[in-house]
Amino acid sequence: MSGNGGNKALELLRSLPRVSLANLRPSPGSKKRERRRGRGRYGGRKCGRGHKGERQRGNRPRLGFEGGQTPFYLVIPKYGFNDGHSRRRQYQPLSLQRLQYLIDLGRVDPTQPIDLTQLTNARGVTVQPLKRDYGVQLVEEGADIFSAKVNIEVQRASELAIAAIEKNGGVVTTSFYDPRSLEILCKPVVFFLRGQPIPKRMLPPEDLVRYYTDARNRGYLADPSKVAEARLELAKKYGYVLPDITKDELFKMLSTRKDPRQIFFGLAPGWIVNMVDKKVLKPTDERLLKYYSS
Amino acid sequence: LGSGLQSPCSMHRAELSVKVPPSRSCPSGLCALLQPGSSPFPAAHCKTSWECVSRSARCCSSLPARLTVSYCRSSGPGGQHVNKVNTKAEVRFHLASADWIPEAVRQKMASMHRNKINRDGELIVNSEESRYQMRNLAICLEKIRTMVTEATETPKVVSKETTQKLIERVENMNRERLRQKKIHSNIKQSRKADFD
Repeated sequence: MSGNGGNKALELLRSLPRVSLANLRPSPGSKKRERRRGRGRYGGRKCGRGHKGERQRGNRPRLGFEGGQTPFYLVIPKYGFNDGHSRRRQYQPLSLQRLQYLIDLGRVDPTQPIDLTQLTNARGVTVQPLKRDYGVQLVEEGADIFSAKVNIEVQRASELAIAAIEKNGGVVTTSFYDPRSLEILCKPVVFFLRGQPIPKRMLPPEDLVRYYTDARNRGYLADPSKVAEARLELAKKYGYVLPDITKDELFKMLSTRKDPRQIFFGLAPGWIVNMVDKKVLKPTDERLLKYYSS
Repeated sequence: LGSGLQSPCSMHRAELSVKVPPSRSCPSGLCALLQPGSSPFPAAHCKTSWECVSRSARCCSSLPARLTVSYCRSSGPGGQHVNKVNTKAEVRFHLASADWIPEAVRQKMASMHRNKINRDGELIVNSEESRYQMRNLAICLEKIRTMVTEATETPKVVSKETTQKLIERVENMNRERLRQKKIHSNIKQSRKADFD
């Protein structure tokens, strides 16, 4: 049956004239005529403006006006819900669905540790450090279809997102980047062209220390044994068998983590990357070495 | 409030001065990076921390062997997502042959949740509260855990001394109340002027 249909279609293509603007027409019922005001019996006469008054004359009062009664938006008293909203830390959401999409399309390489730099280079997320963005947070959307084994490092992650990644044999870490380090992380090339040495990454402020030292959030300052316990607990809670990463061939890659003072994998603070000569300059002075390794 | 605020600050400052958690005793992989050769995170140390996980994971996996999990589409509003995606999680297990629950607890559960047991004797727990399959499964498991804990708890035995004490307490209270009432009544009567 499919063979015959194919033959008929080919015959038609050979015999019919070329498709051009003269032969095309929209399917019946798809395009409806628009209603033009001021034309004809129905669009004309009062032209949809009503009878006399402010309505017809176009002089209605402002939005929210209730005829003199104190309007709703003034009756309700102010409360500090929005106090300091422009100074709050923001985290750009990254759904697991988006991450899976990027991996499937080959924009992000799951065989290397995934970092904010990798995500920015793949144009998966756009982070604006100047707009109080402190990084990326993992969101649960797409947790059920996520099936990639990755070593990912974000700034915040929800419990279900962590569970979804660990179920597939991956590793999640949450770490802190202060705004200067974040800008350097997102736009490395621009920073290297400045010719400044890579700075140390600062430690988190007081209210975030608790978050990053907690194993349940897979914080980078947490105890690794506690993190292992937390992985087990999560597996018990969500009812999946925790895959053994030590038996994995990519174990070395999955267990690579950055030092708390390091911004880039493979580059230490204090080094200068020369883009023109394609060289990396390292400090030799004792005081500098002491400062950068503290 | 002031004293409450001071202590966490000092605690955090102490943590910050340590800078690196005790398990990573080597003063950061930065030193290693600054010298040529070795990798930032010693692999041997890694392996041990991941390995202890695998050993204990094997002993407490209740899911694959003993519980039957099935997913289907949830009910309720939600448009295309609720129509197409299998988010409702259902967990069932045969109650009478569940040897991971003690016999007495099994009986208790059979009587407490007899509405959730089907003709084949399987206890069925389902959940369609969340948008995510994984979370619904977690909710089901949590429900099963609470069922078992509820069935395990023994009723509180009130000792004879405590019941006696309680009765005595009530009697004392009543006696005291009546005494006070009589005193008050006497006071009021003494204020009355009788016209004799």
